[in-house]
This record gives sequence, structure tokens and C-alpha cells, in this order.
Amino acid sequence: MKPLVVERVVKHYGDKTAVNGLGFEVAEEEIYGLLGANGAGKTTTMRMVLGLILPDEGSIRYFGKPYSQEQLRMLGYLPEERGMYPKIKVSDQIIYLAQLRGMSRKDADANLKHWLEKFEISEYYNKKVEELSKGNQQKIQFIAAVIHRPRIVILDEAFSGLDPVNVELLKSTVKELRDQGTSILFSTHRMEHVEELCRNITILHRSNPVLQGSIKEIKSRFPQERVALAADRPIEGLERIPGVVSVARLENGSYDLRIREPETAQRILQHALSQGPIRRFELLEPTLNEIFIRTVGDRHE
Amino acid sequence: MNSMLTVMKFTIRNKLYSKSYIITTLIIALLMALGANAPYLIQKLTGNSEPTKVGYIEGQHSEITQGLADYFAGQEEPDVTLVAIPPTGSEDSDIDALKQAIKEGKIKGYITFKENAEVGFPDVTYSSEKLLESSTSQALQGALQMVKTNIAVSAAKLTESQQKKLFAPVSLTSVQISLSEDEGTGKSVEEQATAIGLTYVIIILLFMAIMITGTMIATEITAEKSSRVMEILVTSVAPLKQMFGKIIGTFIAGLTQLVVLGAVLAANLSLPQNKDAFASFGIRLDSIDPLLLVFAVFFYLAGYFLFATLFAALGSMASRTEDMNQVVMPVSMLMLIGFYIAIYGLSNPDSPLVVVCSFVPFFAPFLMFLRIGLSDPLWWETTLSIVLLLATTGLLGWLSAKIYRTGILMYGKRPTIKELLKAMKAYKV
Repeated sequence: MKPLVVERVVKHYGDKTAVNGLGFEVAEEEIYGLLGANGAGKTTTMRMVLGLILPDEGSIRYFGKPYSQEQLRMLGYLPEERGMYPKIKVSDQIIYLAQLRGMSRKDADANLKHWLEKFEISEYYNKKVEELSKGNQQKIQFIAAVIHRPRIVILDEAFSGLDPVNVELLKSTVKELRDQGTSILFSTHRMEHVEELCRNITILHRSNPVLQGSIKEIKSRFPQERVALAADRPIEGLERIPGVVSVARLENGSYDLRIREPETAQRILQHALSQGPIRRFELLEPTLNEIFIRTVGDRHE
Repeated sequence: MNSMLTVMKFTIRNKLYSKSYIITTLIIALLMALGANAPYLIQKLTGNSEPTKVGYIEGQHSEITQGLADYFAGQEEPDVTLVAIPPTGSEDSDIDALKQAIKEGKIKGYITFKENAEVGFPDVTYSSEKLLESSTSQALQGALQMVKTNIAVSAAKLTESQQKKLFAPVSLTSVQISLSEDEGTGKSVEEQATAIGLTYVIIILLFMAIMITGTMIATEITAEKSSRVMEILVTSVAPLKQMFGKIIGTFIAGLTQLVVLGAVLAANLSLPQNKDAFASFGIRLDSIDPLLLVFAVFFYLAGYFLFATLFAALGSMASRTEDMNQVVMPVSMLMLIGFYIAIYGLSNPDSPLVVVCSFVPFFAPFLMFLRIGLSDPLWWETTLSIVLLLATTGLLGWLSAKIYRTGILMYGKRPTIKELLKAMKAYKV
């Protein structure tokens, strides 16, 4: 039984369609990526999963059961725009939120202390949220989303506004959660995070799911069209090789080539070797970033 | 149910522990204690405990000075005591002696007499260093008048019963009667004054309590929305439970404040010295009808829930605290109108405007209470007004819950009614 199954959900706001026939499944120990440009329908989808709004068509099942009050307690939610009570003590509000999801006060308190220790911010237990730095507020927000040990966690732009050190800290925490069996629905604009964390993704574009599947499989659908090349001396005549679309010389002296089909790569290698030793040669698979831009950008016209 | 309790506890906790709440309660309690003791303090400060010492030359107009001394001696708290200064012989040196006595602090001022043959009673001059010592001169004036009358009366040789007749004061009492009840005993002047005062105080308290807590609820909801705590809250607890948890929690916090303030007031009023002081101002606390207090509590409850749900619904529609005032303005206006009609009604509790408006649910908490306190509404009038009020509270509570459910997830500019309806449909509430 999959923890979260979304089946062909449709949501209209008046005559506008916000989500059109989206379906996906999130397994245990899986981080599922929900990608899309601003206004593509990610937040609406998450709100439907959270039960804040009901889908017009389709269904959402949690461990095989439809949405109900009991399901609420299995959900953890980190909203895109962070929100806490600025004037209330960290401990008070986290324990309050945990209690609302059915935890006992004692349990919540112990769990909060554990999390604060983990993030090395134990001294903020009795501080008001407004006294904390933005990064620490974010950590508190994250604790609020996971304090009640939810089975399904929804992270909307989890790492935005954090410095690289804290991004790594939170990322490793998310991975830990995943390894403990939590199903995570993850949305972000940062494709490198998706590549690192997610097994399966959906790219939404203007309310429609346009690309779905595992990252590996999606990448294999896109041809390898980039070659990275570096040599000690400049290489002449790269742009004259048949099949090469463009050549860009980077600041560090290496080349970034676009090709029409993968076979061209071998011709580039031979051409380069004929001029001298090669330091680096790689036929690159497309990054998720490129796939995203291509998928979403193509349909933009 | 459980999560509603959690919301309630959280709301109460944050209220009771907040600095502003504690400080406001303390300040109001202090003011109330002062207010309760004010009549006594005023009496204490103005009532001269020490009588003013007034000197006179011994032997001059002894009939009058003796009369004055008797008069002041008869007072419970004499305004003046007379001090005899031995005569020196000549008029000028007498004055010097009196002045010397003022210098030595034996007396504050002195009286001298000048014959006035026309009236048959000497003109009296009161001399003192102070410019406007009206209280002493007034006391002297009254006393002299009395002495003069006594001298005239004794000269006329009236019998005792004739004297009694002459001095008996006129008696006028006005009484409010009740026509609706057979045994209606009516209210005496003192009871009326107490009723008006009490009604006035309770209406102001009602208005302030509802207005302050209502705005507080709206502000908090808007703040939760603007700080986006709302998104987490809504996913953790059903909006209805959240809204009523907050309303009831704020209510309990407000009630705690009222109880504390009430206790302070009651404790101060029951101090022995205050009872007499209030009585002397015509306020008799024991004349308060306990039923009136029951009605006060009832209308406070009903009015609170009527307006609190409205404030909550409107608060949920504003995205930022700056917009909040604008959004809740219609309800604030409604309350203000009711309040002003009630203030007008204090002197005209039976005017058609007050009677008609006392059936309008938004005004009923103030106006029906006013009518019960000051005039005598028929039983069906009271019942109808209460039924309408309760029905409206229920209906608006239900409607507010729907608006709230929708409003809390709508961000951006303040929604129009059309947009709100559209969103309600979309959210399937």
C-alpha cells in the first residue's frame, strides 16, 4: 500500500483550471519531486494533498484510505512562505503545533529538545521567534513540520533563503527522514537539489503534468547533446566538425560543445586528439535544469 | 474537541502571560480602586476635620456670640469654633489684640460688629488673611442667620408648636411607578439614581469588553494569516474548531480580567467607610436588582459571541494587519451606533427609537439591557429581543465559520463579496 496516491486530480477556480488530471504515487522511503514554474499548480496540488481544498475530480489516498481527520496527524507541512508566531517563545509554539497534531505535551517537549540539539540551537528553546536569525527561524519551521513524526511530509521550497552550510544540514536531515521510512513530497526551483534527492518527478506546466517518471528514465529520453572538452592548448576547427551545433570557450580554457547526435562526440574526440593531448573529455547527459527549461520553455511559445 | 481545547489553552496562556494584558489589568484595577474610594476620598479631602478658629472680643454682643457658639457646638463636625479675646477697652487696641492673636496662631480670623439700627441686628465683618475663605464665611453666614431668626422668634414669644411648624422642612419625594406589575413597588429616587448609574457603567463595560476583545480576535487572526502560521494551523486543526477555540479562549481571558476587576471593585466597595460615602452621594448598592446583573451577564455573553464571530470572519479576510481596520469597520460602526443610541436612551429609555432598536439584534445587547435597567419592558418584548438575538448569533456564527474557512486561505488584496462567494464554491464549504 503506497503511502500517498494521487489519481487524476482536477481543480478549477471558477473558469480557470489550476490542476488538470495530475496523478502520481509516492512510496515509502521516497522523495518525490514536484516541479514547475511559478503558477504551474504546485501549491494547489500540495493544498489538495493537505486537504485544505478538495479536488473537483479524481481522488487522493493515504495508505489506501481517503482523506479524513485522522490522516491529518500523519501529515507534516513546511509551507513555502514561512510562518510562525513572531512574539511567542519557540518552545511554546512548537509544542502547541505538535499538540494540535495529537502529541502529548511531554512527548512534544522531549522531541523538540532532541531536534534543537540536532540543529545545535538548544539555546533558542526559550527565545521568541522574532529574535532569531532567518536561517534559524527556518530550522524552527522545519522542526514544526516534522516534530510529530509524520509518515508523509510535504516540503514546499524547503531550502530557499538558506546559506550553503544550512542547506547541507537540512538536506542531510531530509535524507535521514527518508531513510527512516518517511514519504516526502518535495517542491523546489533548484534542480540540483531535485537531482540529488528525488527518485521520481513530475514537471507541471500551466496546470498540466508534462513530464513524469524517474529521473533516470526521463534523462534517457533526452539525447546526450553536450560535450565537455579540455586540453592544454587551444584546439582549432571544432566548429567545422559536422554535427556540431555550437562551441563555447569557457574562461578556464575548456570547451562546451552542443551536438546534434551522440555519434558526433567520437569525431570531436578524434579531431581534438589529432591536435595534442586531452585533459578531459565527457559526453554529458542533459541536466534536469536543461530538461526543465526545454520542457517548459518549448511550450511557452 | 480535543484540539479545540488545545487552541483555547494556547490562546488563554498567551493572553494571560502577555505583558500588555497584565499591565492593562493592573492599571484598570488601580483606577477602579480609586473610583470606588473616590466618594470617600472626596469627603475626606474637602470635609475640614479641624474647625476654623474665629476670634471675637469678649463681652461684645454676647447674645449673638453665645448663639453662634451654641449653634456650632450643636454641629456634629463644627465648621468653626469661637475663641474669646479679652477686651482691652478701646476699639483700636481691641483690633490690635485680635491681630496679635492671628499672629500668634490662636485664631485664623475674627469677627467684629457694627450697629445697624434699621435691621435691629448688627452688621458683622469677618476678617482674615486669606482672600477667599468662602467656606468659613458661608458657615458664619448660615449661623448668623439662624441666630438672628432665633432672636426674632424668641422676641415674638411663639409657642413651641408654632416654632416647630415654622421650622419643619418641606418634604418632596419623586417615585417611579411600575404599571405592568400589580405589586409594582416602584423605585425611589435613590434607586433610580443607582439604576441609571449602574446601567451606564454596565453599558460602557459591555461596549468596551466586546469592542476590545472583538478587535483583538480580528487582529490575531489577521496576524496569523499574515505571518502564514495559518497555513500550518489549518492543516493541523479544522478551521471551525480553530475559530471557536480562539473565540472561547479570548472570551475566557477577557472574563478572567473582568472577574479580577469585579473582585477589586467589590472588595473596595464593601470597605465600611465607602458604604456611607456612597449613601451620602445617593447611591445605594443594596438597591441593585440581582436580576439586572443576570441580564448584564447574559447580554455580555450573547453580544460577545455575536460580534466575536463577525470580527473573526472579517479578520480572516484581511491579509495584512494594515487592512484589518478597514475590513472590520462596518462592524465597529454598527457597535458604535448601538452604543450612542444607548447613551441617548439613558435619559429617554422609552423613546420609540430606543424601543424599536432594542429588537435589532446588533443593538439589543446594549438597548434591551438599557430598557430592562431603566424602564419596564413587557415580558414578551424582552423575550422577543432575546430570541432574535440568539437566532442571529447562531446564524452569523454559522455564516462566519464559512467565511472564515474560505477567508483564511485567500491572500492578496481584500476580496470582494463576489470573489468570496466564488472562493467558497471552489473550496466547497
